Order: sequence, then C-alpha cells, then structure tokens
Amino acid sequence: MASKKLRRTGVSTDLCERLKRHQVETCQDVLSATPVELMRLAGLSYSAALELLRLVSKACSPAVRTALDLWRKKGELCFSTSLPVLDRLLQGGLPRGALTEVTGPSGCGKTQFCIMLSILATLPKSMGGLDSGVIYIDTESAFSAERLIEMAQARFPEFFSVKERLLEMASRVHLFRELTCQDVLHRLGRLEEDIIACRVGLLILDSVASVVRKEFDTSLPGNLTHRSNLLGQEAAVLKYLSQEFCIPVVLTNQITTHVGEKVHCPQRNPADVSTEEDSGFVTAALGNTWSHCVNTRLIVQYEDTERRQIIIAKSPVAPFAVLSYTVQREGIRLEGNENPESTLIHGTDPGLQPIRVRTGFIYNLSQSTPSSC
Amino acid sequence: MHRTVPSLPLAPSVKVKLINAGFQVASDLIDMRPLQLCKEAGISQEEAVEVLQMLRDDAQPHQQRAATESLTALDLLHHEQTLGSIVTFCSGLDNALGGGVPVGKTTEICGAPGVGKTQLCIQLAVDVQIPVCFGGLGGKALYVDTEGSFLVQRVSDMAEAAVQHCTLLAEDTEQKQALEELTVEKILSNLFLVRCHDYVELLAEVYLLPDFLSEHPEVRLIVIDSIAFPFRHDFEDLSQRTRLLNGLAQQLIQLATQHSLAVVLTNQMTTRVSNGQSKLVPALGESWGHAATQRLILHWEGLRRLASLYKSPSQMEATIQYQITVQGFRDAPDEPRLASSSGNYSKRPRMEDLS
Repeated sequence: MASKKLRRTGVSTDLCERLKRHQVETCQDVLSATPVELMRLAGLSYSAALELLRLVSKACSPAVRTALDLWRKKGELCFSTSLPVLDRLLQGGLPRGALTEVTGPSGCGKTQFCIMLSILATLPKSMGGLDSGVIYIDTESAFSAERLIEMAQARFPEFFSVKERLLEMASRVHLFRELTCQDVLHRLGRLEEDIIACRVGLLILDSVASVVRKEFDTSLPGNLTHRSNLLGQEAAVLKYLSQEFCIPVVLTNQITTHVGEKVHCPQRNPADVSTEEDSGFVTAALGNTWSHCVNTRLIVQYEDTERRQIIIAKSPVAPFAVLSYTVQREGIRLEGNENPESTLIHGTDPGLQPIRVRTGFIYNLSQSTPSSC
Repeated sequence: MHRTVPSLPLAPSVKVKLINAGFQVASDLIDMRPLQLCKEAGISQEEAVEVLQMLRDDAQPHQQRAATESLTALDLLHHEQTLGSIVTFCSGLDNALGGGVPVGKTTEICGAPGVGKTQLCIQLAVDVQIPVCFGGLGGKALYVDTEGSFLVQRVSDMAEAAVQHCTLLAEDTEQKQALEELTVEKILSNLFLVRCHDYVELLAEVYLLPDFLSEHPEVRLIVIDSIAFPFRHDFEDLSQRTRLLNGLAQQLIQLATQHSLAVVLTNQMTTRVSNGQSKLVPALGESWGHAATQRLILHWEGLRRLASLYKSPSQMEATIQYQITVQGFRDAPDEPRLASSSGNYSKRPRMEDLS
C-alpha cells in the first residue's frame, strides 16, 4: 500500500505534478515527510499540507476491526499440529497470521517437524488439515521427498493407502532451494504470486539462520547491523504475507553459544549437562533483535538418548511448557506428558533459554536412531 | 478605541491619575507596558495591570482570550484526578505507577522478547473497559498491532478473568446491573484492532486517529505494539527515522491530552556493547527516550520477571516482580516488592543507539 501512487489517492493533478518535481510520487514519499517539508515542496499552507496528509493517509491506512470480528472467525485462526497436548497449550495450534520459529540443535527434529506440518497442511479439512498447498523454502538442502512419502504413509496409513492421494499430496508441496541471502529475500519478494497460484496454506522457511550465518561474519564491524536489517526485512515480508493470507509461517533457526552470565535454570540437572563446564551455554541463534521478530518460539532439545523435548519458549497465548517427544517413522510423537504439572515449568528469556545439546558420548550411542536435520 | 479615559470602568482615583499624565483616549493606553504605565501615571503595578487587562478584554473577543490563559497546578491536579488511570491487575505495578497507567499521558513499555509486553498491553486493553462503578474507566481501546502478536484467544482468556473478578466484587445493585452488560463478547466488541505492516501504514493510521477518536469518543486507551518493529529496518537514513519518530511522538502526546486517553507504546530492546560488556538497552536510539512521559522496562532476572519504572515525572524509580498467568498480568506469588531501583537499570546508558 505504501507504494500507492498519489494520482490514485484523490490528490489533485496539479498538486501531484508539483510534488513529482521533488520526487514525491507515492504515499510513502508523502508520509515520510513532515508537514513543514510538504509546505515547502508543494507551496502549500499549513492547513492544506495537513489536508494532503489526511487524504493520503486515508488512501493507505489499514482497516479497523474489532476483536469480536476476529473472535467469530477463531476457528480459522489456528493450524492444528496433530499433537493434542501441544495444540491444547497453543489454544488450537500454530497461529495463522503470525511467525512460528522452531529452533534447536542439529539432528533434533526441526526438519522432521516441518515435513510433518507439510503433510498436515495438504490433508482435507475433515482430517484437521488445511486442504491447501505448501511452500517449502529449503536453504540447507535438507528436505527429503522420500521422507515426506514415508512419513505420510506411516502417519496416515489408511488415507494414503490410495496411491493417487499420496501423489497429490507430494505434488502440493512446492519446494524452493535458495542458497544465498539475496536469493531468499528475492524469493520472499515474489512469494505473493506463488501463494495465490498454488493456493498455499502453509509457508515454511528451513532455515532462516543458515544462509545468514554463512554470509555475515559478525566479528566484522557493521556486519551485525546489516544482518539485523536483513532479518528485519525478511520478518516484515513474512509477517505481511502471513497476515494478509491468514496462513501460518514456520521458520527454523539454529543454535549458538552464548557467552556471558549464566541463567539459573532449575529444570536442568547440572551433572548431566556438558555445557555447564565452560562459561557459555547454548541458546537460539540470530540474537536478540530476531527474538523480538518471531511471535512464537518453540525450542527442541535433547532429553536423553531416546527422547527429545519441545519447549514453548515464547508465545502470546501459551505458558512456558516442556513436552517430551520422539522422532518416529510417522514423524513427531509426543510421549510421557500425562502429568500436566510436569510440563509447566517456569522458563526464562526466550533469547537466553539454555538449550540442551547432545554430548559426544551420547551421540555415539544414538547413531542408530533415525534422525536427519 | 476612541473611547475616552473618563468613560472607562475604572476607579476614579486611577482615572484622575491617568488624565493628569496626559492619557485621553483608550488607544493612548493600549500599547503601554505595565511598568511604563505605572511610572508615567504614578499608579501601582496592580492598578496598571488592571487597566491594561480591562482594555484588552474590550478589544478582543472572549474566546481568544481564554486560549491564552495559563493553567495552574491546582487546575491540573483537579483535571488529572478526574482522568484517573488504568489498573494493571498487578498491585505492585499499580503502586509503582501511582495507581495504574495514567490517562492523558504516554507510557512506553520496553522489554526483552517474550517477557510480557504484549501481555501487559492486552491486559490494559481489557482493564480499561471495567465499568465506572467498579472503579474503572468504562472506556474502549484501540490496539495497533505491528508485530502480529495480538491473538484474540488470549484476549478472551483475560476478558473472562476480568469479568470473573468483577463478579466477585459486585455488591450493590448498580454494580450488579453493570455486570450484566459486562460480558466477554462486549469486551471484545469494544476493542478496536488495526494491523499495520510497515511504518507508512502506521504513520497513516496516526494521522487519521483524530477522526477515529471523534467518531469513537469513548476510547480511553491507544496501544501501539510495537513502535520499534516497523522502524528497525528499511531505514538507510537514520536522521529521517529520528525525524519521523519525533513527529509521531508529538502527535501521540497531543492526542493523549486533547482526547483524554492513555497512549501505551511498546519498544524492543537491543544489545549494546560497552567496555566489553554487553547489555540490553531500549531500541530506537537515545533521543527516542524523550518521547514518552513514562518509561517502564520489563526484564528477566533468571526465572523471575521484573518491571522497573525507568522514567517518570511523578513516581519513584522502583522495581517490582510480576508473573503472567492464564488470567493475565498478575502479582508474583511471593516477595512482591524488591528494594527500589536495585535492578540492572539504575545506571542509564548514555551511548547513542543506532541499531
């Protein structure tokens, strides 16, 4: 809306011409100027400048709704994860119209979670799906079509026993491999068309961190600012798309070692955590500014050799909670969360929440368990 | 202005002195300064002021004069008391703020991600609707969402808790009657929502707010959650950003006073490295710090959530603990008060923040 030309806002032709001479052509140009600047540029009186601003504002301001309007459509505001306990905590599932981030160590199940969500989105509405296409932007080349098929068959054996359904499901997942920051940003910019053309109901970016971390050496001066700027732009585009189309957007993120004061965390037993030994601990990557950008943050981490945990670290609706899961042939399976008391533990800053990684010793033991991420 | 001095409604002794000093018509007097007049005519300073004021009253229409009159602190005190404030349902924070978030002023809430900024904003948007007979404001709220974190499910949780709270308090018939009106649906319908996707839309919305507020005069709270997100990217030219933000702050303060409403803004935190130590400071730069009348910082200390009053013209700096429950923003169960200004924010960062 910001790029709307003044000609179409009801501003008089004469005034448009005068402003155009000063490279003021769009709503954005007008609203980026103060009334005094406009008076000077267009030779207007103060009240005429205010009137111009009001006219232009009317042309590009978003509509006002009431919360009740939204509430009446609340059934359409969630995307069920098919994990009942998680859905209940998130009050229905992943929010549509907001960004959900899944962060965690490598091999913990982030990509598995994304593949699982892709299958769910293509399911008919009667099965809790969105009956829609999926756009999967893969920056790590980690997406496996074979795994997609395997997981679909294992998770919904009856439904996908018909081969046509399986093929239809696979054909509705649109994959984009983008390996540089520029490519990702470019892709996001053109996504509006693809979302309409493919009738997309779920957008996945796996992962937002890899390309950014590859290309920006944050030890160099200025790079950090540049990086936050880029991430902010990506977040703004994604938020816009997710709200306008009312679709959930899922991003994955990596982990980083946070050096600094230790966050006290009683749920961790210091004896079994390797990261306690050095001064730092592991947290979500991409820093504080990025943590502000995501609306919901889910952290996946290792619990023991078999089990992993999913933590709701930041959510506008859900309390901090820890759920155990395993990665199976059919994808993510929640296990052993019968006691609701044990899931609700107090957490800390989602940007500083410690994440448990696999230690070298356990890693060797669990070579046999299926994992890819 | 050709009125003669003897015809003016003045004390006879003053008139005699004026005539003796050679003033014959009113226009002789109108350009005089009080001290000059008092010396030339030999009248007291008070008398000179009285003469000049009387002449000015005659010359100017009534309304124009009223606009130039100043407000005494006493008038302001009476006015502010009638405005009231919005309770937060967290008594520790209410006390620190002097009764809640003040109406007629701007309040900025800064905080780390996930600490509860949006939760506090939603809580306020619900609480502003508490009926007058329960000590609330009985107003409506406008919520400008730039981040997409406004989830209506959460509003209904908090609205339900607020209705429950009022039900427990209801005693007399007036309150019981008001309670029949106060339903979750009603609260949701009195909460206006605007989603802005970039700073241009946000600025456009603020330019149109005066119109919106005259259509909905019951609005007592405007929330912008957050002011930081649209302004933290897309800006090559930081001086332009500062200029736009200053203009925005000015407009919001004007709205707050003219329409008697509370303006609540949220801001993000950014990492600032100084002397090898990194710490969190509010984003948008140091000059933005002047924008809001009150500044509240929400931060983590281990597992505890703390709120520190960081800037206020009337209240002491204080740090209190709070928690976020299913019901909303509440007092922490134990040790609700900490020693005042013991937080990490007692030292104010002075460095220019350019992120």
